[in-house]
Amino acid sequence: MPTRARKSPLKKPERPYLALGLEGSANKLGAGVIRHEIDGSSTVLSNVRHTYITPPGEGFLPRDTAIHHRQWALKVIEDAFTKSGINIHDLDCICYTKGPGMGAPLQSVALVARTLSLLYDKPLVGVNHCVGHIEMGREITGAQNPVVLYVSGGNTQVIAYSRQCYRIFGETLDIAVGNCLDRFARVINLSNDPSPGYNIEQEAKKGKRFVPLPYTTKGMDVSLSGILTATEALTYDKRYRPNDPSQGEADEGCFTPADLCFSLQETVFAMLVEITERAMAHIGSKEVLIVGGVGSNVRLQDMMGIMAEERGGKVFATDERFCIDNGIMIAQAGLLSYRMGFQTPVANSTCTQRFRTDEVHVAWRA
Amino acid sequence: MAADSTPTIALLRSSTLISQGAEAKVYRASLHAGGAPVLLKHRFSKRYRHATLDGSLTRARIAGEARALLRCLRCGVSVPGLRFVDAASGVLGVEWVNGRSVRYLLGSGEGGDAVDGDEDPAIADKDPLGEFEVSQDALMVMVGTEIAKMHLADIVHGDLTTSNMMLRHPSSISDLPEGTQPLVLIDFGLAFTSALAEDKAVDLYVLERAFGSTHPESEPLFGTVLEGYKKKMGREWTVIGPRLEQVRLRGRKRSMLG
Repeated sequence: MPTRARKSPLKKPERPYLALGLEGSANKLGAGVIRHEIDGSSTVLSNVRHTYITPPGEGFLPRDTAIHHRQWALKVIEDAFTKSGINIHDLDCICYTKGPGMGAPLQSVALVARTLSLLYDKPLVGVNHCVGHIEMGREITGAQNPVVLYVSGGNTQVIAYSRQCYRIFGETLDIAVGNCLDRFARVINLSNDPSPGYNIEQEAKKGKRFVPLPYTTKGMDVSLSGILTATEALTYDKRYRPNDPSQGEADEGCFTPADLCFSLQETVFAMLVEITERAMAHIGSKEVLIVGGVGSNVRLQDMMGIMAEERGGKVFATDERFCIDNGIMIAQAGLLSYRMGFQTPVANSTCTQRFRTDEVHVAWRA
Repeated sequence: MAADSTPTIALLRSSTLISQGAEAKVYRASLHAGGAPVLLKHRFSKRYRHATLDGSLTRARIAGEARALLRCLRCGVSVPGLRFVDAASGVLGVEWVNGRSVRYLLGSGEGGDAVDGDEDPAIADKDPLGEFEVSQDALMVMVGTEIAKMHLADIVHGDLTTSNMMLRHPSSISDLPEGTQPLVLIDFGLAFTSALAEDKAVDLYVLERAFGSTHPESEPLFGTVLEGYKKKMGREWTVIGPRLEQVRLRGRKRSMLG
């Protein structure tokens, strides 16, 4: 669909702009400094992250995660400035995650942002976490107007841009895909280091047998909680071989944790690719951009690549530095809206657990 | 996927590709020389999916669509007649409906992925409805009535859009049996059976959203659809109406965690 070329409302900066981004909506605490150059490009000056890792079999609780963020905030921010080589006084604005996310961790980071803002007299910019992912993905990959698949521990959405709004075409009706994978990792006691999803991916590479699981796409939406339950139930099945792959090999009907990881990934990713393809067909787009933590999964990227290729399109994906939650994406989205004249007064510098992607006015796009 | 040599695949080879959607390719074919044309819908295999998963999904969806069509036909809902099913190859054949999609008739083009070089010059027509001899309001009432008939038969379409309903061309109706409805509901790929008011209300809500996104300023149009629907549903509307109100609120304000 040829979209009329409209002029971008974002003017080229008359001088370089600098922003600090602070992210802490889940178990990652991130700080990053970005510079928007005069020629319209951006430079990532630093991108520091510290992850709160829990023991195998356990998830991260809001309270403990908030404590982690409070303990690490100064260290991470200091690192970000050291690596960037700039002085905090040179900043144009301080961007923080307004939501969506876990309440307590969000509040801890918002508090840090507010304090810095008052100490150094810098304007605050509250950023929607999902929009941060999208803008960073666009910046890194150069995708112009892609259909966005945003997949992470807390979100699963298919998004397309239309009239200054990121419209949600399809989304999960219950849990997010990252949540589904992470929770299954805990069921089979995989390590949470570096992330449960990464370990599922490695385990799935060893899996060979495809075990049928429910397949639940509903129009443009997907439902994932039932699949998790079904996969979990299979670990109580008498054909399940928890830690003896050699025996499983010999026995035809049996399956191992690796087989379950493989089947789970194949099933849920097929669902995600299917709804993404439907959105692409609907709006006539040939580009697809994958963002969010699960977006760093190579199997998902491959499947999306095959689909895009069949449609004569292209897939854009980033690596873990920009896929997984980070401060730089908050800085990027925040600086874009700051350059359009948006600021968050300290009195309104709240955060919220519920903040839909389509509630944001995307002033900087045509 | 079946080997290249099956009769079904040979049939596809001899047919003309009409359009390609996200899930299926649509062909115009003839089952025997000089016979009436049929529409073949081929759910082609998706290479990104695991072969086992792909095979079972394709089979289940073709069979499900055929079942939903049969149930509609039995209950007197106006849908294309079933002509051919080969679930293993993922091919479904239905009656060729000579007409236009409601989306086109409301002036928004045919939509979907057009096959290259298949640009329709007729799109420039000012009033595509003229040659069909119905007013826009009458068309909307027909849409509402047909959806109501389908819901009374406890079938939920799952993907109601204006592209998924067609109006038969007046010239083609005269050849068909007495009482053939001009409006036809098509594409039951996501259909399922349900008696729940919830599912039916969601079905209507999906159509409302489709109206909103494909036909700007379409609120009065959808209102007329609902009028037709209400009239046909009778007492059932007292349950579905309030539920539709609830679903509308839910769609917009549904919160999510991140």
